[in-house]
Amino acid sequence: MSVTSSSQAATRERVRSWTGQSITRKEDGRLVQGQGSFIDDMGMHGQGYAWFVRSPHAHARIVSIDPASALAMEGVYAVLTGAEAREMCQVPFFQIAPGDGGRIEEWPLAVDTVRYQGDAVAVVLADSRDTARDAAELVEVEYDPLPVVVDGVKAAEPDAPVLHEKAGTNVAWHGTYDFGDIDWALKNADHVVKIDRLHFHRFSSTPLECNGAVVDWDRGTGVVEVKSNLQMPMFAAMVMGPTLGVPINKFSFSSRDIGGAFGNKISFYPQIAALALLSKKAGRPAKWTEYRTEHMLTSTHGNERTFLDIEVPVMADGTILGVKARAYDDVGAYLHYEPLGAVIWSQVVPGCYKFKNVQVDFTTTVTNKCPVSPNRGYSRMQHLWMLERIVDIVAHELGFDPVELRKANYVQPEDYPYQTPNGCVYDSGNLPLSLDMALELADVEVWRRRKLELGTGTGKRIGIGIGSTLDSGTNNFGQARIVNPDLPFSGNGEAAFAKLDLYGEVNINLGTTPQGQSHETTAAQVAADILNMSPDQVTVTTGFDQAHNSFVGFSGTYASQFAVTGLGAVMGAVEKLRDEILEVASFALQAPIDELELGDGACAVRGEPARAIPFIGIANLVYTNNAVLPIELASRVTLNCRHVYVPPFQVPDTEHKTGNLTLTYSSQIHVCVVEVDEETGVVEILAYSAVDDCGKRINPQVVEGQVHGAAGLGIAAALYESFEYDEDGQLQEPSFYEYHAGTARDIPGIRSGSIESPSPFTPNGAKGMGEGGGAPLHAVCSAIQDVLGKNDAIVADSHNPWERVHLLLHSGERGDPRGVRVVSRGTEGAWV
Amino acid sequence: MIRQGTTHTIQVTVNGQVYNRVVEARQLLVHFLRDTLDLTGTHIGCDTGSCGACSVIFNGQLVKSCMLLAPQADGAEIETVEGLARSGELDPLQQSFSAHHGLQCGYCTPGMLMTATYLLRQNPTPTEEEIRQGIKGNICRCTGYVNIVRSISAVAEAHRATAVGTTEGRDQQ
Amino acid sequence: MLLKSVEYVRPDTVPEALDLLRSNVGAAPLAGGQSLTNVLKHRVASVDLLVDISALAELRSITRTAEGVIEIGSCVTYDEIDHSREVRAGHDIVARVAAHIEDQQIRNRGTIGGNCCLSDPTNNLPPLLVALGATMNVRSAGGSRQVAAEDFFKGYFLTALEPGELLTSVTIPPLLSGVGAGYVSVSVAADSKAIVRAAARVEVKGVIGEARVVLARVASVPVRHRGMEDALRGAPPTAESVRAAAATIGNELEPIADSHGSSQYRREMARVVAQRAVLEAIAEGGGK
Repeated sequence: MSVTSSSQAATRERVRSWTGQSITRKEDGRLVQGQGSFIDDMGMHGQGYAWFVRSPHAHARIVSIDPASALAMEGVYAVLTGAEAREMCQVPFFQIAPGDGGRIEEWPLAVDTVRYQGDAVAVVLADSRDTARDAAELVEVEYDPLPVVVDGVKAAEPDAPVLHEKAGTNVAWHGTYDFGDIDWALKNADHVVKIDRLHFHRFSSTPLECNGAVVDWDRGTGVVEVKSNLQMPMFAAMVMGPTLGVPINKFSFSSRDIGGAFGNKISFYPQIAALALLSKKAGRPAKWTEYRTEHMLTSTHGNERTFLDIEVPVMADGTILGVKARAYDDVGAYLHYEPLGAVIWSQVVPGCYKFKNVQVDFTTTVTNKCPVSPNRGYSRMQHLWMLERIVDIVAHELGFDPVELRKANYVQPEDYPYQTPNGCVYDSGNLPLSLDMALELADVEVWRRRKLELGTGTGKRIGIGIGSTLDSGTNNFGQARIVNPDLPFSGNGEAAFAKLDLYGEVNINLGTTPQGQSHETTAAQVAADILNMSPDQVTVTTGFDQAHNSFVGFSGTYASQFAVTGLGAVMGAVEKLRDEILEVASFALQAPIDELELGDGACAVRGEPARAIPFIGIANLVYTNNAVLPIELASRVTLNCRHVYVPPFQVPDTEHKTGNLTLTYSSQIHVCVVEVDEETGVVEILAYSAVDDCGKRINPQVVEGQVHGAAGLGIAAALYESFEYDEDGQLQEPSFYEYHAGTARDIPGIRSGSIESPSPFTPNGAKGMGEGGGAPLHAVCSAIQDVLGKNDAIVADSHNPWERVHLLLHSGERGDPRGVRVVSRGTEGAWV
Repeated sequence: MIRQGTTHTIQVTVNGQVYNRVVEARQLLVHFLRDTLDLTGTHIGCDTGSCGACSVIFNGQLVKSCMLLAPQADGAEIETVEGLARSGELDPLQQSFSAHHGLQCGYCTPGMLMTATYLLRQNPTPTEEEIRQGIKGNICRCTGYVNIVRSISAVAEAHRATAVGTTEGRDQQ
Repeated sequence: MLLKSVEYVRPDTVPEALDLLRSNVGAAPLAGGQSLTNVLKHRVASVDLLVDISALAELRSITRTAEGVIEIGSCVTYDEIDHSREVRAGHDIVARVAAHIEDQQIRNRGTIGGNCCLSDPTNNLPPLLVALGATMNVRSAGGSRQVAAEDFFKGYFLTALEPGELLTSVTIPPLLSGVGAGYVSVSVAADSKAIVRAAARVEVKGVIGEARVVLARVASVPVRHRGMEDALRGAPPTAESVRAAAATIGNELEPIADSHGSSQYRREMARVVAQRAVLEAIAEGGGK
């Protein structure tokens, strides 16, 4: 393992290794000149502009829809209603959930009932953006409001209004995860810390570019062409295919530059399906550019999770034995990608810690709110936040130093590869060292002194918090079987296509859909090393494009996996291409392969630079001069090499809910120092540090950028960003005016450091990273906890705006319920 | 006086090029730039004037082009991201953003560059705090602003070095 | 982002603008447009004709009299106020407040007139102008009148302006020796929407003389808190007496609750910001 500081210049391991260097990005040239091709920059000939008609009610019967006035407007091509859309579909969208949840029906547009504010009931196509919106306002919709449920726990109660009659319940999934022996642990612990409720709030990363698509249902060929900024088009194709009655090979997806996604652009297939039907009806392409308020209301939110009746058995020396909790995941009105959140969290069952006994009773409920879908740190960060909260609360209640308590309970460097209670394997890492580095980067010693000097009575308090988190990457989709054993999913993979073109150009095509993760650059670095040339000489095409033929069922950019799956595929494809080049060169130069070497776009006999053939010569022989080659070689070598990287996974044990669910585990340890104003509850961040360990870094600057970004989003979520609904199901933050996205004034400078613990399980020692595990939410809550006194309530919410902090600061004075109690051995029955 | 009406003929100079167009009064300047002039480098990220992705320099002033109507631009000189590079050569800010990884998805970048351009014109050597204050109206969801601030600081630092160099040069004479 | 169809006109003079406003029902003056444009984008108000007054020279000047009275044209931008020598000379607080309105882009376009005429309770300048005892200068095709800032703000998005009237400038009296001003907010985040805010103008001559304490976001318009003002008058300019005066802020306030703060929190914070604003005013006045 090597220890480096991000401020140090990248060192070259060998003279010509591009991997590991912070080279500038291939993407930047076009992006800094405004030459990126984002979704609203694209179009198709003859396109109309779409505008969705959306429900103002959170729950209502659709009594009638009358599009006549809209259709009468000049420039309006078509109006498609929910009922018409249903008529054009074969079946509702495929559901992942088994049982009751599997009977939840969703169609491209709402039919009969709307279930959240903004649910789309119709869509208009017109000759301009303006006309489309003008006409949409003329679509007359009569609603009959129904009772609303916006609380994910209450939604599970028997008297709650039911959203989906066919399911008959709002419980979309329920299951108990039981690992180790929690009953034994609770019985034998010296202390049991009991926490009433922890609430992980609803927010999203709100990519700056909203969703969008141009969709054409070609009347002649039946091909449905979709230009979009979807980040996992194959998932959309899989869900939409049966519904629209379109075979996979009649979908033609493509994407270019994507203006941020963070998981939020996985699941807008209902909109794309509606646009496809609209195009089919109108006989022309439909272009839709989501506007921000529409995005906030209807695109996607992150999972909101409530943990109840948490019990933490702890030994006198601070050894945490496990955790027991009930979890309610509020996933909004429809199941998009859900209930996968009910299992994805179990990639990190014990978080960074060694405890073995975990029982989580998990319930997924639907509510009259915007449907959720993956959001950076998807499902794991909610669980990791709960674990970090309990570690801090245990420290606070039992008088342990939060740093020492963590170090004592962390998985230790010598424990790797470490098997978790549910069979996941943590590949490598050094958590105690990461924590020490993070504390040092944040100058914690200085702040501890400052905290003592500050004392009491100044109106200010200083708090120091830690967020320890794992960023699990490269999913084993077999975990889907844990929520539904009938699902035919397992494993993972990614494809890449490496090609030497006619004039000697090297091209890599990827099936990924990057949104800032620098795939063009890092893929070129890896390819350049194998071909011994400069990344500048390698062209990389990204974007899921059927024309590139370089995708597999799991292609896309999500779940922290590109460095493993994407680059694993690139390495395999480029190695195949290299071998073909060497074979042709061997014939051309009449020299054995093991005497050849590649360099700067040519192949030469080692030690005889004059005996060389440039790549253009190789390409010439294969493409346009192949009679020169022996027929055996000419008919075998194509210079078009595809490779699919498949990680080594098995199908999980669905009965025990165990298995290796994820290939790699990056870690991120964050430290946050805050100053809190006692009178107002206003929190100011004084120092912030983050130490990342993602194994071998392909491009350290890119990794550091991901660390910064994850930190920025998490800090903003912890203090500023929240989606809240009133009791009528009206979203209180439907635009950036109310939803305060963190600005450069709000996000502090972030000091980042890194260590590299290479993964033994990946082709290149790299681990996926980028999501960041929500560490800032843990660290900020931890820092706020640190300013609170013994009699104050605990930090029980992941979102802490000033009023909530103010309430906490004065909760002890008022004698508010603290939300926590400790039962200790020997004082059975007496609350301590 | 510009006459009263729902459509207007306007003349706008963008990046030095003069355009005459008939526009609807209701068209936002950002849609005029993107849809009418096909200058799609200027982006849209919100509908409340909150995100700054559409920032352009309008008669020397940094503005959000979603907060002006196209007819308000009649007679105006506008600078957009497309005008920053000259003869294929990236300007110092563009180079610095690339060198310091000041962009990831690149969607906020055009607006951010215009804001940084304006900021450095007003104050060639801003402190980190002044930079953060200056770009407060531009939301970035990818970078946590860390490398954006670094990118702008590096250009400011170069200005500082040049200013010092010039002063030293004079002192020596 | 897509507006309803609307007419636009850019008059050359204030009288032309006033004529247009008088003769067109559904006409609205367009100054910086930093709020109005959003209103139009979201189609929450019906406007048929936008009368663009943003470039009218008559509305764009800042003048300062020998007595220190300052008059700011309604179409002067926040950024211009921030950088105005005239404003900085005797009304530094106005410049300081203007310098922290939202962001640079908005400060380059947003105007003092727009900030006042929208009468959005989150806007920065109204409570300050009430505290400073400003006068709003109003013209119509029929004549002109003056309205005290205190009487100008009538409710959410409602002012004393009658149809056809235009706010042309704001006059602010001098902050004389011993008189200081303060302005403190609890905001959602840096330079962003206020949860609660106070502006104060306090005269200190040994003891506190006249004091104006204005609270914002506790009601639909900025409100003077007479109880606290009375408690301050004659009190020593100390932290203790200001704290005691702030304690008079109580249940008579019934602030709105929204996702950024409950009514109770706003009421408690009103005490905190009022106290801090008054102390800031005392410190500033004492420095003269």
